[in-house]
Amino acid sequence: MTPLPPRCSIVPPYVLDRLAEQGHTAAVRSLALDATHREARLVAPVPAPGTDRPRRVVRDARHTERLPGRTVRPEGAPPVADPCVNQAYDGLGATYALFSDVYGRPSIDGAGMRLDATVHYGEHYDNAFWDGQRMVFGDGDGVVFGDFTACVDVIGHELSHGVTQFTAGLAYHDQSGALNESLSDVFGSLVKQYALRQSADEADWLIGSGLLAPGVQGVALRSMKAPGTAYDDPRLGKDPQPAHLRDYVGTTQDQGGVHINSGIPNHAFYLLATALGGPAWERAGRIWYDTLTTHRLTPDAGFTAFARATVAAAAARYQDEAVANTVTAAWAKVGISVG
Amino acid sequence: MDTMRIQVTRTGGLAGRTRQAELDTAERTDAPHVHALAREAVVGGLRAPSYGVPDGFHYAITVDGRTVHCADPKLTDSQRELVSLVLREGA
Repeated sequence: MTPLPPRCSIVPPYVLDRLAEQGHTAAVRSLALDATHREARLVAPVPAPGTDRPRRVVRDARHTERLPGRTVRPEGAPPVADPCVNQAYDGLGATYALFSDVYGRPSIDGAGMRLDATVHYGEHYDNAFWDGQRMVFGDGDGVVFGDFTACVDVIGHELSHGVTQFTAGLAYHDQSGALNESLSDVFGSLVKQYALRQSADEADWLIGSGLLAPGVQGVALRSMKAPGTAYDDPRLGKDPQPAHLRDYVGTTQDQGGVHINSGIPNHAFYLLATALGGPAWERAGRIWYDTLTTHRLTPDAGFTAFARATVAAAAARYQDEAVANTVTAAWAKVGISVG
Repeated sequence: MDTMRIQVTRTGGLAGRTRQAELDTAERTDAPHVHALAREAVVGGLRAPSYGVPDGFHYAITVDGRTVHCADPKLTDSQRELVSLVLREGA
């Protein structure tokens, strides 16, 4: 067989894919290199002078799926007539505030990176995602989901994928993917709690409260307080999230159930934050942030490795042993033993 | 006249919800257009699922028994048009 050059972007990926499937090692290597190059591009930090103010740019895809779209509100510009644009702008600001004020992190890369968002992506598009550089919002179909800019915790969730990408780089599948998802829910919820100055007891611990269209039987996309109870609706089905390791869902869909099994670490965080009391972004959030950002995790970390890292982070940050013990107890309640 | 059976399964997304729909082109007046779309969509697809982006949708497109994969936001124009048609009008 003729060897392929190690990097050959001119060969369509599906051809490489087929070759790789047949055991063609050069094709396997080429696909892996493609992924590496893509990642290298994504993690290259944007050099910027130390700054404690966000640099936001909101763009409008005008109901196409072409990114990035036309700039409609750059940093410092006054509100516009379109509420989606202003909600995205404010949500980016609220997310920046949590990471900068509370954790001393200037922007998502820690180096003042510009915060880019695109609204009105696609027609009736039922999703919001982080594409490695920007967050992208659909308008929802109006039947199951409404406008995705409506929830500040969803905006915080997307940008937190950026923080994870620039730090622990947790692989987006199976347990490491569920942890990646959970970290986005944790910091997304903390963005909202910090903006509202709510204590752990006052917070709703919901992700996407207000996102479900009128008439859908449910309160949100996910509940960290009670995973599996956010919705139960004929169109949407029932919230599939487990709250305990014994109910871990094995599936090949959704990258191995990353949005499903995130319920387990989500609930551990909720249990810790409410046990410690006070504002969740202070001690519980700080422990999770330290775990994410201080080289304690490998990209393939699973639940147990993550749980151990949180206990180590708690012990390193707080002299009071009771804090680390509370972390251990929270994990034990969701079926994860740190010992 | 030729007909095609096109199935689309959409997984992932912020909600992690699966949607599935199937379209049979037998009764459609736009069948030639849909067939062309489906052929192009398959040519531009991957044989195995890719990682995509966080919270992005993943699509499996099956045309007459042959399945290919693609993921947001890197769909070709034909894939975009096909998946939205099948999810909107399929059963």
